Amino acid sequence: MRGHAHLVAGYVPGHSPVHRLPLWLKAVLLLAVAVLCLASPAVSVAAGAAVTTAVLLVVVAGHALAGLPRGRLWRAVRLMLVFLVLIAAYQWWQNGAVVAWQVVAAIVATVLASNILTATTPVDELLDGLAAVVRPLERLGADPERFSLTVALMLRSIPFVIGAFSDVRDAARARGLERNLLARSLPVVIATVGYARATGEALSARGLGDPDPAEGWHHPASTQ
Amino acid sequence: MNNPARHSIVLSSAGVSIPPDGAGGDGPKTILKPLDLELAQRRIAVIGANGSGKSTLLRLLNGLVLPSTGTVRVNGLDTAMEGAAVRRTVGFVFTDPLSQLVMPTPVEDVELSLRRLKLPKRERRQRALDQLAGYGLAHLAANSIYELSGGERQLVALAAVLAVEPAILVLDEPSTLLDLRNTRMLRGLLAGLPQQVIMSTHDLELAASCERVLVVDDGGIAFDGPPGHAVDRYRALVA
Repeated sequence: MRGHAHLVAGYVPGHSPVHRLPLWLKAVLLLAVAVLCLASPAVSVAAGAAVTTAVLLVVVAGHALAGLPRGRLWRAVRLMLVFLVLIAAYQWWQNGAVVAWQVVAAIVATVLASNILTATTPVDELLDGLAAVVRPLERLGADPERFSLTVALMLRSIPFVIGAFSDVRDAARARGLERNLLARSLPVVIATVGYARATGEALSARGLGDPDPAEGWHHPASTQ
Repeated sequence: MNNPARHSIVLSSAGVSIPPDGAGGDGPKTILKPLDLELAQRRIAVIGANGSGKSTLLRLLNGLVLPSTGTVRVNGLDTAMEGAAVRRTVGFVFTDPLSQLVMPTPVEDVELSLRRLKLPKRERRQRALDQLAGYGLAHLAANSIYELSGGERQLVALAAVLAVEPAILVLDEPSTLLDLRNTRMLRGLLAGLPQQVIMSTHDLELAASCERVLVVDDGGIAFDGPPGHAVDRYRALVA
């Protein structure tokens, strides 16, 4: 797979003030961004647009403060550009320009804020944080380690799927099939399913997801 | 390390077959014929043509594949009944390290292996960094795994598996995706490991460095013995 795919959603090592913030505070700030963007239009259309614009500016400033490359910011927006244009056009048509701006700015602000969180937090720290959040549910049968591992795998899979899209698009171009939807989509599905199987096998081989020896639980494969 | 002087994997009539697809009247398809083997040497190679059953044989050894008939026991542990304990004993390295490395960076992937030891976070990170340093990979610890060369990725995969100190190491064609330089480096590394090593390979030079070589053909063992004779037999088979 092509190597550039990791640039999306990956951790960027650094020592910026944002990197040094504890995970819980970054999570609270991310939640605040989402709540402000979603709740402010309830006050009025103008207030919603003003608050969301301010939040977006703060998030962009946070991106710069974290020392993240500008290219990464643009890439995050570019990935959703088609959807943003479609949403903006629909909202403009239905509710006017101000609402269209508020909706698009809210989406961009929230995505960029989550991008800052993943870019400034090592995956291992995210795993610990997620496990800590789920730990109170352990009495109800939840497995915090398995939950956090699942989320980590999801994050790891996004770059793979994007990379698969790029590779398949190039392969289709090379064969003169760039307009063939089947040639551009089916191999991505096959590659993704293959990747999921290989990842599952790799996790199983490393004993990840196996129970603690003391718990006496058997791997599903062992009961077949 | 959980590394007693001698380890033993015993296959007793262990065979693998897959059920018929239901479309025709054919019976189960045999992938591996029932085998009786004791694998106790420190270095064992498995050679054979593509599709001969090498990978299935190796996957039996840590419970990734369960036998359809017979049993596989690793130091007395039944892979079908005590799978988790078997996987703690047998580390497995895949041909393509990219499918094995599930975390974005080498240090995080090694830490993922160490999570099951329930170490404090700081100690886990330090052990992961030490493990990478032991393989000359300290400078790559925070790089994306996509930025590493094939040889570096294979080394990281090996370091991640060995971080939890398995007693036995199984490798499925570890040098297939490597260039000559990295293959030589891998050979030297494997030679120095204290673990029992069982690997499938197309690298006959690597196979020749082992004490015992199994030649797999059409789901069965065509030859089992010293490397010189095994390589001759394999060459005769594919001629």
